[in-house]
Amino acid sequence: MALLGHTRLPLSLTTRLALLFALLTASLLIVVGVVMGRAVEEHFHELDDHELSGKLSLIENLIRRANTPQAREALPQRLDDAFVGHDMVAVLMRDEEGSVIYALQAGRFDLEQIEGMPLPPPPAIWQRDARQFIGREAVFELPGVEGGVQTPVRVLLGLDISHHAHFLTELRTQLWVGISFSALAAALFGWLAAYKGLTPLRNVTAAARDLSAEQLGVRLVKGDAPAEVHDLVEALNGMLDRLESSFQRLRDFSADIAHELRTPVSNLMTQTSVALSQKRSPEEYREVLGSNLEEFERIARMVGDMLLLAQTENSRLPQKPELVVLADEARALAEFYEALADEKGIRLQVCGEARVRGDRLMLRRAVSNLLSNALRHTAAGGVVEIEIAEAGGWATLAVRNPGDTIAPDQLARIFERFHRASPERHRHGEGAGLGLAITRSIVEAHGGRVSAESATGRTRFCIALPAAGTAPAGST
Amino acid sequence: MKILIVEDEPKTGDYLRQGLAEAGFVVDLARDGLDGLHLALSGDYDLIVLDVMLPSLDGWGVLQTVRRQGREMPVLFLTARDQVVDRVHGLELGADDYLVKPFAFSELLARVRTLLRRGKTKEPEVLRAADLELDLLRRRVLRGGVRIDLTAKEFALLELLLRRQGEVLPRSLIASQVWDMNFDSDTNVIEVAVRRLRAKVDEPFEPRLIRTVRGMGYVLDVPEAY
Repeated sequence: MALLGHTRLPLSLTTRLALLFALLTASLLIVVGVVMGRAVEEHFHELDDHELSGKLSLIENLIRRANTPQAREALPQRLDDAFVGHDMVAVLMRDEEGSVIYALQAGRFDLEQIEGMPLPPPPAIWQRDARQFIGREAVFELPGVEGGVQTPVRVLLGLDISHHAHFLTELRTQLWVGISFSALAAALFGWLAAYKGLTPLRNVTAAARDLSAEQLGVRLVKGDAPAEVHDLVEALNGMLDRLESSFQRLRDFSADIAHELRTPVSNLMTQTSVALSQKRSPEEYREVLGSNLEEFERIARMVGDMLLLAQTENSRLPQKPELVVLADEARALAEFYEALADEKGIRLQVCGEARVRGDRLMLRRAVSNLLSNALRHTAAGGVVEIEIAEAGGWATLAVRNPGDTIAPDQLARIFERFHRASPERHRHGEGAGLGLAITRSIVEAHGGRVSAESATGRTRFCIALPAAGTAPAGST
Repeated sequence: MKILIVEDEPKTGDYLRQGLAEAGFVVDLARDGLDGLHLALSGDYDLIVLDVMLPSLDGWGVLQTVRRQGREMPVLFLTARDQVVDRVHGLELGADDYLVKPFAFSELLARVRTLLRRGKTKEPEVLRAADLELDLLRRRVLRGGVRIDLTAKEFALLELLLRRQGEVLPRSLIASQVWDMNFDSDTNVIEVAVRRLRAKVDEPFEPRLIRTVRGMGYVLDVPEAY
């Protein structure tokens, strides 16, 4: 449950996408806004500069033409005329001695600010009473009147550019408002889009939530969901398949256990109650108890087998694997079963060699089950062969025996618990049908595989285990 | 021989005590770990039968303390789970043998006797019962002076039965001691092996020495009349 292990709930996908959209939109618009603001400001500066130059040219013209006493007399008037209606302009003119010969709105504009500014441009910018001004200073030659020498005139020119500054401030404010609004809108749209886009996922979640252990047969519907969700649905359905089949096996297993236990328990109950129904001799009681003991042993063996199965199926490799020489184990087992085989008129043969790593006791038990199974199904005069081989990193041990061919559908289920090739109940002394299942789970716990094939009167069970490779130095 | 049983399951404890007492041992029974430990350290026992799952102090704790106090008597532990981990853990802590529940009492008895005998008997060269003779050095068997040919495993089986004369030997113990197969086979292979041995060394002769004890195993003893 690692997925649910977070202590802090992470942001939902929808929120993340919405935030991402907002962030993207905002940063994009901010860049655009900054660039635009700069361009407009630049443009205004050029415009103002241009206007300043134009006005200065005008003033220069008027001054140059004041070359007669009348014209000199009329100069202030002309300047007034020239700037009439231009209340955004201020002029201050001084002669050589510094006395003012013409002034227009000089006080309001605070024109002294730019006295002594370097020439030529850039123009100076200053502020007063929340208004913004731009200005330049120039020196022109006032022509001499009636043969007199020309004298220099210092001209200070100022322009009120508050409206530009105001416009820029306005523009910036509107840009910010616009950007904020767009970012909000983007977040909203992002949220909506993500929410809509994730609808199939929510549908799958809702469907999965409604499933319970009783209705594992139900599968999620893919519908017209997008590809990503398709994959998810398929993966979940695959998981449901596996869950269903293991639940099914669990149910079957419980039923099988109950069934297998019923026979010995009912035997015990019957013979015990019959024995108790009247007085009997000690020998008779002894007989009943002995018979009971046999049934108990059968039950005990089954319980032990089931515990072993549960244990091997839930664990991986043994904790202390040792080197197991398969041929040695096979020979030891052949020796163990020799008397039984001999009595049935069966010969046992072992050939080949391979080494694996694992729990020797367990592996011995796995092979033992194959061998006892083969002996059970071989007729007199037959030969049971144990062939051991090693190829491609795998050690294989195959038990071959002549016997009735097993049908393919039986073969597929032969390693399952409580499976028996023949439907009639087992005779006394035989296993409960757990032997091959135990073999499989032991082999699988060792990282190996089991297989079975049967054709033309020969059956072959095979165990494949990862080979231990070459023997380490010092051993045998 | 004095044996201590530490077992909390009432019925199991009672029957173990009765069974071992009837087999000729002096038996004390403790019903939890602390009592068991106290008895183990104060009494002079030849063997302890120790359950792993115990109230107040589990079997591992008892075993560890007993060994730390320098008591070297054999300990046979009983575990409910057939887990490699348990097996390995118990033997590492200094137990001498183990049994997985459920087990047959005859199995427990056979193992108890094996542990008590360990390292005490001097190896005789010839084992005898009535007119049956097994010569360990020359690897040969005589019955009434007549030589009988046995396979290696038949020889080992007869040797086991002769060494433990009068004891009922369960099939699983025979499989383990003669063939080194430490699990129950789902076949009647031990039955067949004993039957074949009997056909060679017992059936043609009088008295019959090897008996089957129903539900428990096999025993070799000389009938009282002889």
